[in-house]
Amino acid sequence: MPEDESPTPALEPIAMVALDAGRLLMEAGASARSIDAIVMTFARGLGADRVDLRVGYASLAVTIGIGPNGITRMREVGHLGVNQRLDQELWHLAERVERHELTTEQARAELTRVATKTPRHSTWVMGVAVGLACAAFGRLLKVDWAGTGPVFVAAAIGQVVRRDLLGRHMNVFVCATVVAFVSSALGGLGAHWEHSQTVTMAMIASILLLVPGVPCVNAQSDIIEGHPTLGSARAVTVAVVLIFVALGLWLAQTLLSHLEIPT
Amino acid sequence: MNLLFLLHQTICGALAAAGFGVLFNIGFRSLPWCMVSGALALSTRTCCLEAFGWNLEASSFAAALMVGTAVLAVRKRADISQNALDVVGCIPMVPGSFAAKAILGLFALTSTDSAEAAQTLTTAVQFTVRVMFTVGAIGTGLAIPALLLRVRVSR
Repeated sequence: MPEDESPTPALEPIAMVALDAGRLLMEAGASARSIDAIVMTFARGLGADRVDLRVGYASLAVTIGIGPNGITRMREVGHLGVNQRLDQELWHLAERVERHELTTEQARAELTRVATKTPRHSTWVMGVAVGLACAAFGRLLKVDWAGTGPVFVAAAIGQVVRRDLLGRHMNVFVCATVVAFVSSALGGLGAHWEHSQTVTMAMIASILLLVPGVPCVNAQSDIIEGHPTLGSARAVTVAVVLIFVALGLWLAQTLLSHLEIPT
Repeated sequence: MNLLFLLHQTICGALAAAGFGVLFNIGFRSLPWCMVSGALALSTRTCCLEAFGWNLEASSFAAALMVGTAVLAVRKRADISQNALDVVGCIPMVPGSFAAKAILGLFALTSTDSAEAAQTLTTAVQFTVRVMFTVGAIGTGLAIPALLLRVRVSR
């Protein structure tokens, strides 16, 4: 019998904490490589010898082992958004776990704190920032100066509406259509009233807040880095979002043509 | 090349990147890095388009490669994930307007008469192909520096 026999850590809590870290990072907009890395860091930092992760679009599954024992656990993943500050906080926590500063229970408590306490920008700050971004986008798309102001206002209102609708748990695809309709109709009407010569481009610039840039880049990096299933699922989601956005734009164009505004 | 136009594109790229940075919940202290990333992307793309006469896809690839390399170089100092900094920089280059025009073109196919249908279809397919190639160019340009570095480290 070995003299330095130490109690083996329980596998179940380690697996669930590691999966929770991966789930939160995935919901914050990370690629499969990052999710794999953080689950690995948490599991090994909490005492696991072997870690194997499967990253799916809507779930994560991990097999961890210590010595001759091993278990496999799965965790559902929620809506995939983008939250960079949460991403940062999770990596800072992962560094502490890697240095063995936390027990499994402390790591679980810290994960809960990070998930609930990480601040977000206020609705109005986001509205102004998104308005500015879309106005700059508009200039890149050759929208004239008369159309730039309406793009700013329309995109800012669109962002406020989007946050409100998502807060009411509206389906993301339907939300994309509603916001695209509101923003492009406002952008088009405003540009027309300001005598812009680029009404159509102003309408398009007003909805660029809805372009799913992060899933689009993640889809490609996932495929390139050996996760074709997840990458393909992300790519299909991007395509469907774009169809729903275009539907909103088409509805707004139809409305403006009924008002005899050329688009 | 018109330097005033280059400056305009660079500033617009920086503003768009910062705006999306806020949308992605990046802290105010890290926003200057986002602005630099967007400015670098748009200035590189504009140089390639205007000075070298490259097409949009090749210019977007070069700009993404530049952003991916620069982000790798500063990732430790920026205290922000490499992925986020890559994406906010390149987001002003995502051809959202082409994508909207492509899908609207496909919608229009259902209502155009047969004489115009061929032209409408050709235009829609052209936009679709350009979107695919441009987005592919951006993704590949961003991925290459990270993949090369990892190969070197693993050796």
